[in-house]
Amino acid sequence: MVDPFVIHTVELRKTYDGVEALRGLNLQVPAGSIFGFLGRNGAGKTTAMKVLLGMARPTSGDARVFGLRPASPDEGVDIRRRAAFVSEDKSLYDAMNVDAMIRFTASFFPRWRADLEQRYLRMFELPRHAPVKTLSRGMRTKLALLLALCRGAELLVLDEPSSGLDPASTEQVLQALVAHVADEGMTVFFSSHQIADVDQIADHVAIIDRGRVVVSGALDDLRRDYRRLRLVFDSDAPDAPFGAPGIAHVRRAGRVLTLLTTAGTEQVVDEARALAPASMDILPVTLKEIFLETVAVEE
Amino acid sequence: MFWYKSWLDTRWRFLIAFAVLVCSAILTVLAYPKFLALLPSAMRVNLGGEIGRRVTETIQFERDYRGYIWVQSFRQNLTQLGTLFAELLGTGGLLPSGSKDTALFTMSLPASRNELLGTRAATGLIELGVLAFAPALVFPLLSPAVGQTFSAASAITHGACLFITWAVFFSLALLLSTIVAGVWIPALVAICVAFFLTAVDLVAGGTGRYSIFAVMSGEHYFRTGTLPWVGLVVSAAASAAMLYAAARNFARQDF
Repeated sequence: MVDPFVIHTVELRKTYDGVEALRGLNLQVPAGSIFGFLGRNGAGKTTAMKVLLGMARPTSGDARVFGLRPASPDEGVDIRRRAAFVSEDKSLYDAMNVDAMIRFTASFFPRWRADLEQRYLRMFELPRHAPVKTLSRGMRTKLALLLALCRGAELLVLDEPSSGLDPASTEQVLQALVAHVADEGMTVFFSSHQIADVDQIADHVAIIDRGRVVVSGALDDLRRDYRRLRLVFDSDAPDAPFGAPGIAHVRRAGRVLTLLTTAGTEQVVDEARALAPASMDILPVTLKEIFLETVAVEE
Repeated sequence: MFWYKSWLDTRWRFLIAFAVLVCSAILTVLAYPKFLALLPSAMRVNLGGEIGRRVTETIQFERDYRGYIWVQSFRQNLTQLGTLFAELLGTGGLLPSGSKDTALFTMSLPASRNELLGTRAATGLIELGVLAFAPALVFPLLSPAVGQTFSAASAITHGACLFITWAVFFSLALLLSTIVAGVWIPALVAICVAFFLTAVDLVAGGTGRYSIFAVMSGEHYFRTGTLPWVGLVVSAAASAAMLYAAARNFARQDF
C-alpha cells in the first residue's frame, strides 16, 4: 500500500553516547503540507532531521521518507536526491564564491532549475562573485535557501530557517518559501522554536519534547480542538478531579480554575457546570499557548 | 564535483608541500659544486664507533653524484619532509569540526559516503603522486646545469618508492580523520607514529630493508639496482587496508 505520508516514523529512537535524543518519535508528514516541527532547544528536532536524511542512523524504530529507508546507504542517496536540506548553521564552503557554490551544488541535481536560480539570485540580491566567507548571516541563509529551492526537490527540510535573522530577513525568507511552495507544490518540513514563524506559514504542526511528539495535527484542527476553560468561583477553586477525555492541563490559582482541553469542550463543560462556578468562559487558544502548555505538562 | 571540493580543501597544503619539496630538490642539485669542494675535508674526518661507521659510509656514497643525490634528497629531505606532508594531506575534511562545519551540507548531497571518502582519498593520492614524482624528476632535468647527469629511470623508480610508502602515512592520517574530527589531532597522531617508527629504526640500529623508511628512500634499489618488491607490496597492502578501514568507519559515523 502506498504510504500517504512523505515522512513517516514509528517509535523512532536515537541514542548518542547514552543520551536519548529521540525516544519513540511517531511522525506523519502529509504530502504537499507545510509542516512545522516545534520544540525547545535540544528537544530532538535536528536529530530527527538527520535521521530522516540518512546522516545519522536510528538506534531503533522505523523511519521512511518517500517510502524509502534513510538508514540504507543506497536509499539514503535516493532520498537526498529528492529532498533538500538547509541546516541551522547554514554552513557552506567558505573557499568558494557564490557562483562556484551554485555550480557545485547544481552538478548533483539533474533537475536543477536554472530559471529559479536566476529568480532567487535577483530576489535575494546575491552577488555572484562574492566569496561565501564574506557573506553576512542573512545572505548566507538566502544562498543556502537558493541552493535548496533550485534542486527541483519534492521535499524541503529546513532546520531553524530563520535562526539568527533580523525580522526583515526572516519575513523575506518566509515569504519566498511560501511563494515557492505555492508555485512548485512541494512538501516543506521545517523545525523552529520561533512559534510566530510556524503560525505564519505552516498548515500542519508537530510539537516535540524530549524526543517524543506531544502534539501533532493540522493547525486548523488544533486551533479548533484546543480550548481554554476559565472557571471563576466565589471561594477557592475546588480540587475536583476531571474525568472528561482530552484535558491536557489543569491549573488552580485562588478562585480561578483553568483547563486546557484538546478534544472539544462539551463533556468538560458538563463536568465544570457540576462544580457550580460563578462564571465560565471558553476561550480560543493560540499555537504559542498550546506549545507552552504541552511542553509545560511534560515538565 | 567532490573532486573540486577536495582540491579546495587540500590545495594550500599541497601547494606548500610542492614548493618546499621541489625547492629542496633544486637546492640539492645547485649545492653540489659547493659540496664537491668540501668533500676532501669531509673525507679526512675519522670518527669511531657506530656513528663513525655511518658517517664514513655516507661520505663514501656521496663520492659520486648519484650517491650524493640519494643521500641528500631521497634518504633525507624527501623522506622526512614527504612523510610529514603526506600526513598533513590525509587529514581533515570528513567529520564535523568546529563552528565552520560544512559536513552537514556535504552529507545532504545525493552521494554515498564511499563516494565522498573515495574522492577525498583519490584527490590526496593524486596530489601525493605529484609530490613524489615532481621533485624526483628535478634531478634528471636540472643535473646538466651542474655538469652532471641523473637517469630518468632512477628518478621515476625513486618517485614510485616515495609515492607508495608516503601513501601508508597518508592512509593512516585519512583513517584517523574518520575517527577524530579536525586537521591537527589526526596529523599529530600520525606524526607521532612516524617518529615512533624512526625511533625504532634508530634503536634497532636500522631495520634494514624491513624499515618503511628504507623502502621509501629506495635504499635497496640504490645499492643493488633492484626494487624492494616486498616492502612496496606490504606498503601498498597496508595503505589499502587502512583506506578500507577508513571507508568502513566513515560509513558508521553519525553527523
